[in-house]
Amino acid sequence: MFEIAINGKKYKVEAGETLLPVLLREGFDIPYLCFHHAVSPYGSCRLCIVDVAAGAKKGVTPSCTLPVAEGLQVETDTPEVIRIRKILLELYLAEAPGSTKIQQLAKKYGVESSRFSKMDITIKGDRCVLCGLCARVCSEVLGVGAINFSGRGVKTSINTPWYDVSSSCIGCGACAYVCPADAIDIITEGDERVMKTWHNTSLKLKECAASLEFFATEKGLDFINKLLTDFPDELKAKSPESRKIEFAKDFSLLPKKT
Amino acid sequence: MKIGTLSDVQKIKQKALQELFPKKIKLSVGLGSCGIAAGADAVYDALKKEVKKKKLDIQIAKTGCLGFCGEEPMVNLYKPGFPLLVLHRVTEKDVGNIVQVLAEGDIPQKKVFCKIEHVDNFVDSEELQFGKKLKNVPHSHDIPFYQKQKKIVLRDCGLIDPENIEEFIAVGGYSSLLKVLKNLSPEEVIKIVKKSGLRGRGGAGFPTGIKWEVARNNPGDKKYVICNADEGDPGAYMNRNEMESDPHMLIEGMIIGGYAIGADEGIIYARTEYPLAIERVNGALEEAKKYGLLGKNICNSTFDFDITIVCGAGAFVCGEETALIASIEGYSGRPRPRPPFPAQKGLNGKPTVINNVETWCTIPVVMAKGPKWFSQVGTEGSKGTKVFSLVGTVKNVGLVEVPMGITLKEIIYDIGGGGIQGRKVKAIQTGGPSGGCIPTALFDLPVDYEGLQKSGSIMGSGGMVVMDERTCMVDITKYFLSFTEEESCGKCIPCRRGLEYMRNILEDITEGKGKMSQIDELVEIASVVKQASLCGLGQTAPNPVLSTIQYFRNEYEAHIRDHKCPAGVCKPLIKYFIEEETCTGCHVCVRACPTGAVLGEKKKAHTIDLDKCIKCGACFDACKFDAVRVE
Repeated sequence: MFEIAINGKKYKVEAGETLLPVLLREGFDIPYLCFHHAVSPYGSCRLCIVDVAAGAKKGVTPSCTLPVAEGLQVETDTPEVIRIRKILLELYLAEAPGSTKIQQLAKKYGVESSRFSKMDITIKGDRCVLCGLCARVCSEVLGVGAINFSGRGVKTSINTPWYDVSSSCIGCGACAYVCPADAIDIITEGDERVMKTWHNTSLKLKECAASLEFFATEKGLDFINKLLTDFPDELKAKSPESRKIEFAKDFSLLPKKT
Repeated sequence: MKIGTLSDVQKIKQKALQELFPKKIKLSVGLGSCGIAAGADAVYDALKKEVKKKKLDIQIAKTGCLGFCGEEPMVNLYKPGFPLLVLHRVTEKDVGNIVQVLAEGDIPQKKVFCKIEHVDNFVDSEELQFGKKLKNVPHSHDIPFYQKQKKIVLRDCGLIDPENIEEFIAVGGYSSLLKVLKNLSPEEVIKIVKKSGLRGRGGAGFPTGIKWEVARNNPGDKKYVICNADEGDPGAYMNRNEMESDPHMLIEGMIIGGYAIGADEGIIYARTEYPLAIERVNGALEEAKKYGLLGKNICNSTFDFDITIVCGAGAFVCGEETALIASIEGYSGRPRPRPPFPAQKGLNGKPTVINNVETWCTIPVVMAKGPKWFSQVGTEGSKGTKVFSLVGTVKNVGLVEVPMGITLKEIIYDIGGGGIQGRKVKAIQTGGPSGGCIPTALFDLPVDYEGLQKSGSIMGSGGMVVMDERTCMVDITKYFLSFTEEESCGKCIPCRRGLEYMRNILEDITEGKGKMSQIDELVEIASVVKQASLCGLGQTAPNPVLSTIQYFRNEYEAHIRDHKCPAGVCKPLIKYFIEEETCTGCHVCVRACPTGAVLGEKKKAHTIDLDKCIKCGACFDACKFDAVRVE
């Protein structure tokens, strides 16, 4: 444990941490898109930039990939950081004009309009900000890897192989859950979950044994149930809501911590 | 044939020298890509055929590139007792005469460019000596192109057959490796490299010894050395020549590096667009294995080391070290955040030293001559020599190796011979698409890492493009930005979209649709891309914009305010016309014009119909009286 300086004040940090989680836990208002505690730092969105006044490398740096070190001094809102941040948000407004979340984020930091509006965003759609969280969660957390970055430069999109229906997607919906821009659409059609954004990949839904309501895809349940080794089968067949009711009745059903 | 000791190397060397310079006439044809492009393959085949037909005892051999691409195809003529003669601009048609003259006991004087009486290969204590005849033939070091060069990296290029390991050994090859393995500990090797001041030749110029030390000190039993042979800068082909003409010096350097950091595996990441280089390096790796220089227990030591080649697939961004590593790992070549740096966590998460081809090739000389000698070449902050590709509107085009600290003026005028067709040089672009354009006013700059950075450019991998009054600085900036925009991996928004936006502005300006406020906007967006991009591609892509606006703002303003392109390049802004007083009415332009836009009677001043003119410039090129003008 040691101390670093943020905007002139000292803060305690642990060795091995990166700066952004420190800033967030200490209440600093730093915008970001591609950071998530569940996956490794990626450094693609560039919004979390700060100015390093003293440290291994001085100047504007993203805080999510910056390791804390003795002697580190950062400033979070220098005029230059603010200027760059605003132009980055202008870029994001044009990259994702259809995302209300992005519009809100931009407005929060004083950006109402964008000079970059002539961008061709047909390949990736009008909401995706290419932060990669969906792909990284699918790979790193789920270990499925059904979607990933495809193409190069302005033709980049997050996509499935051959931009077609996915054979490996398990329909868990983690991608939509972590997306900061509300860019992934999943709907229920009859007894199927349709991942509209992933070329209408459709997966059969399973009914809860108790409530008879659809609660997960069969493929997703097969996947997750393999990992739940110490879990009663009757509970595996029930939705989380129904399980809660069961647990409330009998605490001995809760899985034991090993 | 396995090499176990230094004396094994010496034995092969003695024997191989007799074969490299035999007791008969030997013609070595320069077969690098540039020579082949100029027709050297045909010359080689024709020589072999002719010598066989005439039943002459003349050896025909292959060699690499002597660097003077403008004089290709080049052929070395070795005749016992004579200086080594360099023949230039040899075509298939010359072969018959050359062989005839040689058969008669004479020298084909008309084809002789220069002679070489002695060669210092920097790894042997003595120079190679040839005969001292033919006083009227200029020595290579009196040829302006070669005079100020110091060929440390290019020491063997154009002298040996790159497909014969024994010729490499003949000129001192692998003696450094044996001395290292037998006499030095890995720590001592690193100490020497640190002391030499050698900095990475790939462009960033990071101190090589420090990089090796970090990798050595990072714990772990698995480490890698990588050679970055993804040379992607348009106009840069130094690494290509180094691999095609002397692949063993790269291998020797990498083995020494692997030994120093404790790696057992080396990987050469080579761009697919260099098939000849890949072929030659592959061949050299096979030979090295046969001679016991790669594999298990190299040269009877306890050191295991092997090298494989991994080919790129057409992405400039894969020259960036983290993207290169991702590519080797099987992922898309997209850069990753640093830290951690490859020397700490690189390939497969293991400590990895990644260096450019040229850096590896310098190592055997550093080990042979020692750090003190090496640090005496170059400047305070930049030791040694650098190979540059001198191209563009300059008389002498080719690869030049000069000590750091030489001025741009010397490179362009003394070595390069100045502008072509007597035209004034306007600028020199260094460092490829990551670099900047330096105006003539700054040509007294010493060329080293700091000097070039101060001028708003960078050393980069060594590309040097000379430009004259017919180069439009806005157009050239647009070209470089189109390149980096196309090659952007797309991972981060400032590079992905910022470059696109800047390129669009540049297109507007070159089409006469620009606004004055856009010049400042270019600077504004450039600074965001420079500071906020994830990797070196984005961080340096705005350099051409910033440097041309700094030094050639007048050209931007002319395009916008006056709707003119001073260099006469941007088609929407130029028009061709014929100067009445100068035109002789010779009618040559009329015949050259593809659209019938040039009108006039013979012997009377001609005119151009601007409605029909497509601005192809054919009349301009055809006119011998300079009567066709552009404005």
